[in-house]
Amino acid sequence: MLETLEELLPEILKATGETLLMMGICLSAALVLGGALGLLVFLTSRGQALGRYRAFNLLANGVINVVRSFPFIILLVAISPFTRVVAGTSIGPLAASVPLSIAAIFYFARLIEQTLRDVPRGVIEAAEAMGASPLQIVRHVLLVEARSGLVLAVTVLAVSFLSYSAVAGVVGGGGIGDLAIRYGYYRFQTDVMLITIVLLVALVQSIQFLGQWLARRVDKR
Amino acid sequence: MSRTNSPAPAIELRGVSRRFTDPGGQNVGVQPTSLAVPAGEIHGIIGFSGAGKSTLLRLVNLLERPDAGEVIVHGQDLTRLSAAGLRQARHRIGMIFQHFNLLHNLTVAENVALPMRLSGEPAARIRERVAACLDFVGLAAKADVHPGRLSGGQKQRVAIARALAPEPHVLLADEPTSALDPRTTLDLLGVLADANRRFGVTILLVSHEMEVIRRLCHRVSVMEAGQIVEQLDIANGRIPEGSRLGGWLAEFGGTTGSASPEPIEPAPHHLVQESAHA
Repeated sequence: MLETLEELLPEILKATGETLLMMGICLSAALVLGGALGLLVFLTSRGQALGRYRAFNLLANGVINVVRSFPFIILLVAISPFTRVVAGTSIGPLAASVPLSIAAIFYFARLIEQTLRDVPRGVIEAAEAMGASPLQIVRHVLLVEARSGLVLAVTVLAVSFLSYSAVAGVVGGGGIGDLAIRYGYYRFQTDVMLITIVLLVALVQSIQFLGQWLARRVDKR
Repeated sequence: MSRTNSPAPAIELRGVSRRFTDPGGQNVGVQPTSLAVPAGEIHGIIGFSGAGKSTLLRLVNLLERPDAGEVIVHGQDLTRLSAAGLRQARHRIGMIFQHFNLLHNLTVAENVALPMRLSGEPAARIRERVAACLDFVGLAAKADVHPGRLSGGQKQRVAIARALAPEPHVLLADEPTSALDPRTTLDLLGVLADANRRFGVTILLVSHEMEVIRRLCHRVSVMEAGQIVEQLDIANGRIPEGSRLGGWLAEFGGTTGSASPEPIEPAPHHLVQESAHA
């Protein structure tokens, strides 16, 4: 097993780098675009500051549901022409980042929308009564009162997409999951399988631990 | 103690109406109703659950928009203002709530500072007002504590400090003591009466507790089925005999053991036991 480890070390390092690259891209896209989308869906829901934009709310909700209905592997294949346009290629970690980002954006939008619902209506109303604009409500109330939930939402997102990134192996995406599939599964190299799984477990545990620690720290409720 | 001769009222509702169904499906709307509260008055609104008291109060700062009628606060018809104009006007209309509605991730001082930060006041002025208002409600020592570590009464004091910080003309109070025990209620009523005396802030208060109205208010409007059915002056905590409110008091006072409605026992008794709504 040690020999295998030594032999495979360059592969493992490369795979880890690829995983981090895919995660970095798709998490960034999700945080920025998915966060904004989730916020808008929340704000345009009934009774909220932008509740009059009901059409947007219905449309955005519909789109989020449609994208989230796709099994990831189908999405990956279905949007490959789009991937080729954006990434210039349809194979490799950069190409895999395109479908990963799309899935992550809509996944995170839903997570954010649901997290913001936990902010008590009365607190938002108090801010409205103070003369807060919708943007001020976001900045001074929603992001403040929901912050520990938001940290946990990012944690769930990161763990889910670490797992999704393994599927990217189908398009030669690389990454730790891909390594597990290529060596461990197709070649029956159980030791490689074990190494990658230990690595993935360690990653998930770290993400989860860090997320929970941070969420507790910012929660003063 | 008639104040009807005062010039422009601080709050004036002219023929406002609002159809409104609460989450429980109960109709708690307001029929076409008018109300004028002179500057400096503490005016109570009392009535049974579903009478439309809270809806009426929330019409004053347009948390509920009236279907018809005018809402004039400090000489300005709020229903005619733009969104930005309304926000500007709301900066000078304080509000406190049954469940306090403080931000739990902010400290006490940050909570009190919030309305002034929203209106873009300079930092030095905010600091000065926060200190003054926390001092006024007796919580200067708790400035850096988070609300989660305060008692209900202290939370409502913070909410009062927060509402007073921008020096409002008008303070709206929606069942401010209904989540508090009788002794804390009395303390809080003292704070509100003090705010009225010292800063001249006009207070419009909704309560279903007769004691609260009796001890605090100069004048009371009685609501039933979305309409104000009676208005009374309250001098020295006396509800005039022969009034509808006096009748209620006699009826419900009898159940608590006191046979005659006068003199009114100081122990608070509830006109209506309302379940706390979220």
